[in-house]
Amino acid sequence: MYEKHIMICGATGCLSSGSNQIAEALTEELESRGIRDKYRLVMGGCPGFCEVGPIIVIFPDEVFYCRLKTKDMAELVEQHLIGGEIVERLLYKGPDVDAPARFYDSIPFYSKQRFNVLRNSGVIDPESIDEYIMRGGYRALKRALEMDSQAICDEVKDAGLRGRGGAGFPTGMKWGFTNKAPGPKKYIVCNADEGDPGAFMDRSILEGDPHAILEGMLIAGKACGADEGYIYCRAEYPLAIKRLRTAIEQAKEYGFLGNNILGYDFNFKMNIKEGAGAFVCGEETALLASIEGKRGMPRPRPPFPAQVGVFGKPTTINNVETFANVPLIVREGGAEEFKKVGTEGSKGTKVFALAGKVRNTGLVEVPMGITIEEIIFDVGGGIQGGREFKAVQAGGPSGGCIPQDLINLPIDYDSLTQAGAIMGSGGLVVMDDRTCMVDLAKYFLSFTQKESCGKCTPCREGTKRMLEILERITEGEGKPEDLDTLDSLAHSIKDSALCGLGQTCPNPVLTTIRYFRNEYEEHINEDYCQSGICKPLFQYLIDQDNCTGCRACVRACPVEAIEGEKKEPHEIIQDLCTRCGSCIEKCRQDCILITRVGSEADVGN
Amino acid sequence: MEKFIDPCCEKCTHTKDTPCKDFVECCVEGPICHENQECADKRKAIIEKVALDEKFVIS
Repeated sequence: MYEKHIMICGATGCLSSGSNQIAEALTEELESRGIRDKYRLVMGGCPGFCEVGPIIVIFPDEVFYCRLKTKDMAELVEQHLIGGEIVERLLYKGPDVDAPARFYDSIPFYSKQRFNVLRNSGVIDPESIDEYIMRGGYRALKRALEMDSQAICDEVKDAGLRGRGGAGFPTGMKWGFTNKAPGPKKYIVCNADEGDPGAFMDRSILEGDPHAILEGMLIAGKACGADEGYIYCRAEYPLAIKRLRTAIEQAKEYGFLGNNILGYDFNFKMNIKEGAGAFVCGEETALLASIEGKRGMPRPRPPFPAQVGVFGKPTTINNVETFANVPLIVREGGAEEFKKVGTEGSKGTKVFALAGKVRNTGLVEVPMGITIEEIIFDVGGGIQGGREFKAVQAGGPSGGCIPQDLINLPIDYDSLTQAGAIMGSGGLVVMDDRTCMVDLAKYFLSFTQKESCGKCTPCREGTKRMLEILERITEGEGKPEDLDTLDSLAHSIKDSALCGLGQTCPNPVLTTIRYFRNEYEEHINEDYCQSGICKPLFQYLIDQDNCTGCRACVRACPVEAIEGEKKEPHEIIQDLCTRCGSCIEKCRQDCILITRVGSEADVGN
Repeated sequence: MEKFIDPCCEKCTHTKDTPCKDFVECCVEGPICHENQECADKRKAIIEKVALDEKFVIS
């Protein structure tokens, strides 16, 4: 028996901020004191709060330590593990708590979260099948093996589970199509090709609870009459792939994969296919082509994969989060429990990667129906630096931009679609008042344009033409007719592109025009970028009335474009200024102003 | 018995080649096919070694 369990976040976010070094330092400290055997150290899955990593949670005390450094380990061992006293300085502190917070229940980031999919993440050793079984793992598989295939499809359909990868198609219905497709050979494919900028939901689930994916796929196999599965995961996720491989070997050893699984007439073989990182391979028909060893390009549907899928056989494709939900639904009484959370049309929870200008970035799991305001301000802790919330991009490059006016919009499939966005796989990029919406649309379109596979003309040529227009607008060469041209091109691409990625890629442009048309018009008609992003369309001026002459901006300027004596108002030499923004970041008095080009003291503009 | 897949005694026959339908429940609640406190304690020892608290195990 161990005295304490020390769960160190071993997910990619914390690993990149040094959790491996933390683990090594802690191990060294324990070994040097001869007490290593008393404690169980686990590199676990992601507890979600990436902003404050590296994270350690100590059980059974349930103490959450964050922002750790290797030099903190000696104190942690001495004071907490040996002395039994919490190290207060290593607890979570922030403007959203009155006092250092000890654990999940006292940290606002966790207050509105509900863990279904992330139930085991950071709680179990992801490389231990025994711990997964202790947490109720593989019980749903056992139950499914005793059920009729159609009954499983009906139960998942009745629970209201909709695909978490983008379109939100009812999962049980999709399984039913494959189940009814003729032929003895069928496949289950897990789409783990997560490619949206800023999204890391699937990676965290795979790293933190790989057996949940295997169990979900096995249940789908039984429901669809499939005996083989592929997990298509991008090679950029080496830790996820390593843990999946470990889980597959364990599942084989325990008899959950192979022939006559658990003594039932059900066989299943699991394969991993590593993708090369092309965004288009997240589209299901391109993904199937890639599994077959062909170039990852989409094809027209119908026929849908449920009829003609991988290697020409009926195939069910779901994404990682969808499969992770399945064991919760198919276990005894699970469907009823699942339905209790969410809205009428969107049941259960959704995992989001919260990124951008929000204070608490990280991985969050919230009930469907939660509002944007709750996610950004209650869970996310508001906007960095106390600035104003401007918009949130939901659904990645295929999604749309939701403005501040719609802050009370509930997050569910139907509400997001009505607002012009999509649920997507769950990326939420938060923007503050210093974000230029034209530049944002240009960023996302430049991503999809580069990632366009080039097979269909609307996407290949249309995105290029749209991008050229956006580039012109941000360079101060926009024309009054550009907005109509953009709108017309966007709708043509939506209507005629071959695959879902092409059909949705104009969404960021359409939603920013819909909600921020004034910014586009300002760029085009007034040669002005009020956010101070598009360099030809603004200049910095120093507010002479408020400048204290502290010289912080003078020191920050890399091109010596600011002059002025100490304690005297400074001035920017416009011919030298490159508009890099170094001065505005350093000024403590907020007296660097973004103004129209040529303006001298027109502060309000 | 260090892992659930290890047999608790000669009465346990579960392997990947000779699977037992009760294996999943047996890991946490077993033994199911026979009564033996020693065999039950072996499973309990595996659980107690890693269970973080009383809420950890889900049956």
